[in-house]
Parts: sequence; C-alpha cells; structure tokens
Amino acid sequence: MTTNTVVSVSGLEKTYGKANERQYTALKGLNFTVDSGEFVGIMGASGSGKTTLLNMLSTLDTPTKGDVVVNGHDVTKMRGNQLADFRAQEVGFIFQDFNLLESLTAEENIGLPLALKGTPAKVMDQAIHEVAETLSIADLLQKYPAELSGGQKQRVAAARAIVHHPAILMGDEPTGALDSTSARELLDLLTTINEQQKMSVLLVTHDPFSASFCQRILFIKDGQIGSELRRGDQDRSTFYQGILTELGTFNE
Amino acid sequence: MLGKLALAGIKNRRRDYLVLLAGLTMSAAIFYMFANLATNQAFLKANAAISSANIIFGFGAVLLILITVVYIMYANSFLLSMRQHDYGLFMMLGATRKRVGELVFLETLILGTIATAIGLGLGLLMSKFLVGFLLNMLGLHLSHLTAVYVPAIVATGVLYVGLFILASLFNLIKLTRTTVLKLLHSDELANQPKVKPLRQMVQGVLGILFLAAGYWALASIKALQLAAIPIALVTITLGTYLLFRATILMVIRTLRHTGWAKKHLNGFLLGQLNFRVHNYTRMLTIVSLLFAMALGAITVGSGYHRQLPMMAEKIGTYTVAVHDKTAREQKLIDQLHVAHQATYTQKRQGKTVYYNASELRQTPVELRAYSNSGNMNDQKLYTESLKKFKKSGISDLDFLSLALGKVGAYSPKILTAKQFAKQPGKVVTVTTVRVKNLQQDLPALKKLNKLETARFSQPGTMTVGNYQNYEMMLAFFGGLEFIGYFLGIAFLAMLASCLMFKILSGAPGDQRRYRMLYKVGVRESLMRHGIAKEIGILFLIPGIMGVIDVLFGLQMFKPLMAAPMSPYLGIGSTFLIFIGLYAIYYLITLALYWRIVLPQAPND
Repeated sequence: MTTNTVVSVSGLEKTYGKANERQYTALKGLNFTVDSGEFVGIMGASGSGKTTLLNMLSTLDTPTKGDVVVNGHDVTKMRGNQLADFRAQEVGFIFQDFNLLESLTAEENIGLPLALKGTPAKVMDQAIHEVAETLSIADLLQKYPAELSGGQKQRVAAARAIVHHPAILMGDEPTGALDSTSARELLDLLTTINEQQKMSVLLVTHDPFSASFCQRILFIKDGQIGSELRRGDQDRSTFYQGILTELGTFNE
Repeated sequence: MLGKLALAGIKNRRRDYLVLLAGLTMSAAIFYMFANLATNQAFLKANAAISSANIIFGFGAVLLILITVVYIMYANSFLLSMRQHDYGLFMMLGATRKRVGELVFLETLILGTIATAIGLGLGLLMSKFLVGFLLNMLGLHLSHLTAVYVPAIVATGVLYVGLFILASLFNLIKLTRTTVLKLLHSDELANQPKVKPLRQMVQGVLGILFLAAGYWALASIKALQLAAIPIALVTITLGTYLLFRATILMVIRTLRHTGWAKKHLNGFLLGQLNFRVHNYTRMLTIVSLLFAMALGAITVGSGYHRQLPMMAEKIGTYTVAVHDKTAREQKLIDQLHVAHQATYTQKRQGKTVYYNASELRQTPVELRAYSNSGNMNDQKLYTESLKKFKKSGISDLDFLSLALGKVGAYSPKILTAKQFAKQPGKVVTVTTVRVKNLQQDLPALKKLNKLETARFSQPGTMTVGNYQNYEMMLAFFGGLEFIGYFLGIAFLAMLASCLMFKILSGAPGDQRRYRMLYKVGVRESLMRHGIAKEIGILFLIPGIMGVIDVLFGLQMFKPLMAAPMSPYLGIGSTFLIFIGLYAIYYLITLALYWRIVLPQAPND
C-alpha cells in the first residue's frame, strides 16, 4: 500500500502549564502517519493523551512542538480564520456527546458545513438527501435532536461529518454514549463509508470492540506510541481477540 | 465551607455580578429619584399647576413599580441561571438542600441589599445634581425640590428589600424543587414550539382587533376622558401579545424554508430565534409597551419644550416692548432677528397716555385677528387705517400694555402732531419688536426682559409682550414637561435593562451551542455577526412595535396640545435621541454576550 498520506505527525509534543508552574507533558514526541482511505484506531487508557492528540489533529488545541500535516496543510502554522476554515472543510467530526444543535432540525444540522461554504441551496439539498440515504436517516430529516434516540442522533452527527466530503473523518469515542446495537450499527456504517467513499477514518477509543473495526491500531501509553497492531486478513472477531490480548499485556 | 465555595463561585464571575449589581443599583436610584418627586407633597402642591400632573405622577408611580417588579424578576433569573450549575454541584457533593437553600436565600438577599443601599446613595446624588441639570437645561425652576426626602428613602428601601425577599424565596422554592441532575444540565433543553395554523389565525385577528380598539381609545380621549388610558393599556397589551405570538413564529417558519436560510449561519440564527422568541413573547410585549411609554413621555416632554415658544408667539402681537431704551438694550435689540419694529413717543399725564398720530400713521400698530375656531394658525396679524384704529384697535390689550402704571394701564388718546407737540406730560419712547422666531432669540430676549423689568415695575398679574407670555407658560407647563423627560429616561433605562438581563440569562445556555459551532469550523467573525443579528432582532421587534404604539398613542395628547402645537411636531429628533440611547443598550448587551458566549481559541 503506497498511497499518499492524509495525516502525518512528527515529533509532536504537548506540555500543559506555564514555564514557571508545575508542568505536565501529555504528549512526548509522537510520530505516525495515516494513509488515504485507511481506517485507523487510536487506543489507550484514560489520561494516555488520546484526546489531546485528537485536539491537535483537529486544531482545537495547538502543540508545543512538532508538526501536524493534514491533507497537505501544516496545521501548526495556521491562524484564526484559516483554522476555522480548515475544520469546516478538511475534517469531519463525530463526538461522544453528538454535538448536534438542538435548535435546528436534523436536516439543518447536516447542512451546516455546506451552508458555511456558501453552497447553493439546490446542491445542498441533493447532498443532504444522498448522505441521509447512505446512513438510512432519510425519514428523520425534519425532526429535532430532542426527538431522536441516541443511535439516531449519532447517525445524524455522522451525516453532518461527511456531507461535505472531508479529507478525513475523526471520531472521539463516537460509540461511548450508545447501546451495543446502536454502536454496532454506527461502526458498520463507518466501515461502509470508509470502503465505499474511500474516506480516511481516525477513531479514538478505549473500547476494544469499536477498535476491532479498524485496519490498524496505535496504542498510546503515557504520551508515546507504545505498539501498533495490524488487522491484515484476519476476520473481525479474531482481530478483537488480538486486541484484547495486546491490551492485557500492554498495560503491564 | 459551603459559604467559602459560594464566594469563590461569585469571584469567578465577578464581572457578570458587577453588571447585575450595576443594573439593580441604577434601577433603585431611578426609583428613588421618582419617589422623591412623586411623594414630596410640598413640591407637588407648589408645581402642579395643572390638575392632570397629579394623575400623571400617579400613573407614573404605578408603572414604575410594575416595571421594577418585572425588572427584578429578570435580574433574578439571570442570577439563578448563573448559579444553578454551582448549586447542583454542591448538592451532588452532598450538601443538604436546606443548607444550599440558605445559601441561595442569603446570596440573593445580600446582593439585593447592597444594590439598594448603593442605589439610594446614587439616587440622592442624582437627585441633587442630575435633576438640577435637567431643570437648568429646560430653563425651569421648580420650588420645594430637595434631594433628601425621608419618606422617599423609606419607600424605595421597603419596596426593594421586600422584592428581594420575595425573589430569594422564589429562588429557594425553585432550587429545592428541581432535581440535582436538572440543575447540572439545566441549559441543555430547547423546547420546540408547535405551530397550529388555525389557532394562530384566530390569535392574529384577535390581536389586530385589540390593537385597533386600543388605538381608537387613545384617539378618542376627549369622549372617554380618563377611562381611555386603562382601556388602551389593557387592549394594547393583549393585542401586542397575541400579534407577536401569531406572526413572529410564522415569519420565522416561512423564512426557514427559503434559500436564504441555507446560507452561512442564517439557518442557525432562525433556529435560535424560533425557540427563543416563543419564550420571549411575554417579555417582548412588556418591553414594547415600556418602549412606547418611554418614547411617548419624552416626545410629549420635548414637544412642550419645543412648541411653547411657538404657542407664545401666536398669542400677542409684539415680542418685547422696551421703554426709553438704553444703549445696552439697543445692543441687545440689534442682536435680534427682527420681523417688525416700531417706535412711538408717549406723553403721560394723569391717567392718560397721548400718542402722536403721524407716528401711528407712519408705522401702524400691528393687531391680531382672534378667531373662534380655536386654530391659532387662523389668527393672522394685520394693520388698519388710523381712523379705524382710533375706534377699535386703540382698546387692544397689547396696545394698552405699552403704557403701564403702578395701578394699571393708562388710557390712550391719539392727538394730531400739532396737538401732541403742545401736550404737556412725561415723555417716554417705547419700542416694540416682533422677532421672526422666538426660540431662536430666547437668550437675548431673556436679558432684554431682565433689564426692562428692572427699570420699570409692572403689576404682577400683567404680562407685556410674547416673551413674558412665554415665561408664564413655561412655569405653567414646566412640571408636565419635566415629568415627560424624567419618566421617559427612567422607563428607557429600566426597559432596556430588562431586555438585557433576559437575553443575558440565555447566554450560559448558548455557550455550548457556540462551542459546537466553533468545533465544526465556523469562523469567529461569522459567529460574531450571527450573535449581533440575533440580539439585534430581539431588540428591534419591541422597538418597532413601540414606535408604532407611540405614533398612535400621541393622539391622546392632542387635546392638551392645541394647534399650532401638535404632539407629532418635530418628533424625528426626539426619536433619534431615544433610538441612540436604546442602541447603546444594544451594544452593551452585545459586548457582554460576546464575552460570555464566544469560545476562546487556543492561544499558546
């Protein structure tokens, strides 16, 4: 597999606290890449630096040292509006707590990234309905988030994350607030999106079941990449067992 | 321990608390200023030249109390919205409801007491300086006006502390009735109002009918007398409320389905307004009425101020009459914009004053035609031939006033030039001046009049010339004018603060929404514009409604301001000043909202 890379992280460091205070280093020189069309998982215990890493990748936070290049853009050199535009155009997000705007209908929520770009209404409607078909939420479009179940909300959130065809889809524990059936449905959908649309997916999770849907898993421990696991040709349940074994020894 | 935690919580949000405290302080200060005027019997007796002033003060006091109640309600809900998350946390940590309840009660009460105390102090200062300044600006002198008036202090203190005790109790009950979880996540619910077309139609039609009835009542105040005001208050309130409910949601719904809603943050803006306006309907109704009252009061006040000179100059013929003018007086006369000037020589002997016919022929005396229509524009100036003048014009009051003695007017006689030369008596020359525009020359006229009255004393009940008429009317209408200005400014300050607090109490809930938008990649400038539009619309709706209310409401003052005065004359500039003040409130609210709501970008 020698495709072009979508994400490339080199020497990434993040230190919290000011110079004269007690400092805490969450990330200590991280290096990895994500290829285009890849489905990568990042695993680690609480406090290992997973969320910090995702915040750097998605420009919600700035690194202390190191480079982050996403789809050819050096994220660390961007400022103000560039950052906002980058988030709006290059990245799609799914959050654990959905992050849907409850004052808008599902349709309006999904259309938001397109509206920000100033897409014509007609094109927008078409894109919304296409993605709604893919995620089988076409009949939910006129509802408000308050009227949807957790699984439905997360599918709406997924639709919003991919409607503008971002370079990479990032998920921060997207199944964290879902029951097991909804979680499996969502992960199946993410796999479908990854396969059919060749969209790169980066999933941050501490749940081995979610991770077993990935092609490659990076294990983070104390701010560094501890080990890496590739699925290769294994079926999902075998890979799941592999992850469990790895986790069992990883934290020792 | 809990007390310490609560103090720490307050410290963290001290700027929000300062806003709250400042608002409450201002409100208490304004209330004191008004109470000082309204309850000071000596002041009222000395200045209430017209019987309606008492009624206006009564209405004003009731309205002000009502607004104060509403105002404290909203300020309190702002306080609660800031604190409920903390209280929820305390309860989760194991604090008993009773303990947290005590904390809430004390916090509200202490804040209220501090605000009242500072407000009273500020009110005393403002009564001393601001009221004096306002009076000076209006050229008024009101007697028996003192800054410190104990009954007013007591009234303000009792009302405010009482209201704060009520607010504390309300907070206590509300907090002890809600579950901990609800307190922690109080801001995450947004209810979506349902739209029922038929009901909305009925509401809309009813609203328009009520409004029409209210406006009719105001316009026919002559027939309804005082009953018009309560009728209008009730019908216009109901009408505005129903109309708001019926139309605003419909408009937003319709807009949401257009292409415009699909551009940038417009959809989000409409979504926000959709669930917000519903909650705000009652609020917006009250605010639009307050807006109307404030604007109406200022308009009427400034209307009197602007139009008194106009009325005064339509009554008599000349503006001032100067006897034996001195060099200093001549200088002042030269400064005037003269429309008509005449100088006559008088010879006074016994109780008779003699005039020279040739002088009167050369510059005939101007007379005014008084008509019965009541419209002062019909009262034109004219002159008549000397022959006619000798018969009728000679008994014109303004002409008689040119020669006033200690007891009254000399009786005039007109002699031919030859006879006049022979006639013995004290020679006096009198110069009458009519200016083009009384308002324009007021400063010079004031000085001239002072010099003239210092040299010649005249009977206290008589006035000579329009300028003296104007001064008399100014004293007469002064009280009314002052009340207009005062009520207007007080209403405006309170209503805008009400709106500000209502909007700000929604801000903590919005924080999360804007955080989401930030994550999704919305530019900060776009969010800023979005917020500016949203709050702008919330300010604009009651503003527009209020302006319409005022335009109709001014009908009420038509009987009081007879033509050529009109309540509608020159309202443009009053509106502009008022809207300017209102806009300042909008900008303050916006700045605070930005500060509370906008997510901080990482900056290290």
